[in-house]
Amino acid sequence: MTNVMKDYFLNLDAAAKDPERKVAWCTSVGPAEILRAMGFEVYFPENHGAMLGATRVSSDTIPVANANGYSPEICSYLTSDVGAYMKGITPLTKAFGITEVPRPDILVYNTNQCKDVMHWFEYYAKEFDTPIFGIHPPTNIPDIRQQYIDDVTRQFEELITFLEPIIGHPLDPEKLKQTVALSLEATTLWSEVLDMAKVRPSPLTFFDGTIYMGPIVVLRGTQIAVDYYKNLLAELKQKVAENHAAVKKENKRIYWDGMPVWGRLRSLSNIFDENDACVVASTYCNSWVFSDFDPEDPLASMARAYIKIFINRNDGFKENYIADMVRDFHIDGVVFMAARTCPNNSNAHYNLPRKLKERGIPTIIIDGDLCDLRCFSDEQSTTLIEAFLETI
Amino acid sequence: MTDNSNRIFWGVDCGSSEIKVVALDPAGKLLLKRKQKTLFPLRDHVHHALAGEDGDLSPFEAIGSDVIKPGHKIVATGYGRKYVSFADDALTEIKAHFIGVEQQLDLKKAYSIIDIGGQDSKIIAIDHSKVDQFIINRKCAAGTGAYIEELGHRLEVSLADMTALARNNDKKLSLNSFCTVFSGQEVIKVLMNGERVENIIYALYSSVVKRVMEMTAITTDIVIFSGGVLTFHPKLVEMFTEKLTEINPEMETILAPNAQYCGAIGAAIYGKTT
Repeated sequence: MTNVMKDYFLNLDAAAKDPERKVAWCTSVGPAEILRAMGFEVYFPENHGAMLGATRVSSDTIPVANANGYSPEICSYLTSDVGAYMKGITPLTKAFGITEVPRPDILVYNTNQCKDVMHWFEYYAKEFDTPIFGIHPPTNIPDIRQQYIDDVTRQFEELITFLEPIIGHPLDPEKLKQTVALSLEATTLWSEVLDMAKVRPSPLTFFDGTIYMGPIVVLRGTQIAVDYYKNLLAELKQKVAENHAAVKKENKRIYWDGMPVWGRLRSLSNIFDENDACVVASTYCNSWVFSDFDPEDPLASMARAYIKIFINRNDGFKENYIADMVRDFHIDGVVFMAARTCPNNSNAHYNLPRKLKERGIPTIIIDGDLCDLRCFSDEQSTTLIEAFLETI
Repeated sequence: MTDNSNRIFWGVDCGSSEIKVVALDPAGKLLLKRKQKTLFPLRDHVHHALAGEDGDLSPFEAIGSDVIKPGHKIVATGYGRKYVSFADDALTEIKAHFIGVEQQLDLKKAYSIIDIGGQDSKIIAIDHSKVDQFIINRKCAAGTGAYIEELGHRLEVSLADMTALARNNDKKLSLNSFCTVFSGQEVIKVLMNGERVENIIYALYSSVVKRVMEMTAITTDIVIFSGGVLTFHPKLVEMFTEKLTEINPEMETILAPNAQYCGAIGAAIYGKTT
């Protein structure tokens, strides 16, 4: 894994320094396939935000963004990342010897997750004087309608027209088909990786998944991601064959809804492990399963896949989705992580835990955040999780 | 094999404000209860709370020793439970308070526990003698002992005098903010306007009641109060009861026996049964 991510970032760094190559910044569930098929190297600021959180560098960078007009109440990926830029630091330096994030030639965002990505990318568009393009799909939808797909497909077509003069050539339709085919293959393998946790005892945890998911976020549409997940799947199958348990005395199986608390992955993992509980499935890791990709109909299938994501759906869909996951993964209880700075990815706010409880599914809400550890109490979270595990 | 009749089960509740200790005999009889302020290093102060003074009943072989006497068992609960290296076991305060209340009252009905501690407030719903659900206050100190202490400090009123003062209110003033800092500012403003301290203490209690009641809808007909804050602020118990009865006229409220020690008692009983 380290090598895959290292090569990815070194390649990006080289591309940013090469005037012949172009770097596109893209949101994590943005139209990466179009960018990749056109020849852009694709960088994902949200991935950088997660790195800032996981390394806890964000504790130093968020206050810098706050002091420069970005509220502590908005996305802490944004404030971590913008603060890091303002401070002139990146965890890529320590990890891979890269001195700064690759400068963009184009910024492309998709508001299918939230509008904070728009504000985030607009900051950099102004800062770097770089062209920017936003995809604005319908949001919070109960079901997928053809008009939604047509709308987003049209926006993708406009994006392609916008990108052609920047990259200097038209989109090769065959190349797009190949890229979508690779994305489909990688995402199918990723789904199979996550499904290995249906086995009891599970060979992987949600916390493992947050590390394993790197390539499906930043390298989908490449053979590298496909190869990585083929190998990972084989490894996990081997573990299952050997009855290898990620949590040695797996006794309870938990579902995690919401973002990871990046700066507390290890300690949270330990709490569950010490209490013989395995977090076997999550909304978050499954958010990069795009089974609708179709190489024969690339743009419309991408439109469908990227509209359909969990975060972009209404509450009824979310309730049924989690209930289905609870059934399929033999879950004993659901932990909702209510992220202070990410209301869109915090599903405890509109009574969903209680609705699930009415369906016989135990739930608990812990307060926290993806990157801002000022919003997270280790003591209270530990007590809540342990008390929850005691009661289910 | 230890002779069970000589066994003593210790429960220690390492709260954020006070360390509470109880010892039970094998029949569950309360042999002692003692408490002291939570100070640091926590381990040393928990040790002292358990050991007591020279000549007191102690689970330790000798003063300063971590060696537990044969037949003695220590179970820890509360926020500091993981720092009690000499404890045989630990459990969360949610379960501890439930066991402490359940064993002392034996209600055999669905009920809820409202526990207000130094740093947090909890509502625990019990059904069929099991914890059905629970909730802890989130994000800030409002509605906890720390909130009352902070505003008491600003008003220069001792905690012991608060109930008497609140009972002498002549209007039902309310504080709109539920943030400790904002409430503090609001208190200063009403003081500057010449408001009586009695009415402000009443408003402070009222805001604790509101803050706790908005944590979750209580659906049981019985509510048990536990924890130190409700032990030492009887007016707060009265105001909770008034509010609960307003919502549900069938409501029965009970201040748990040994309310401040329910967590420690629950921990000791847990040690007895595991």
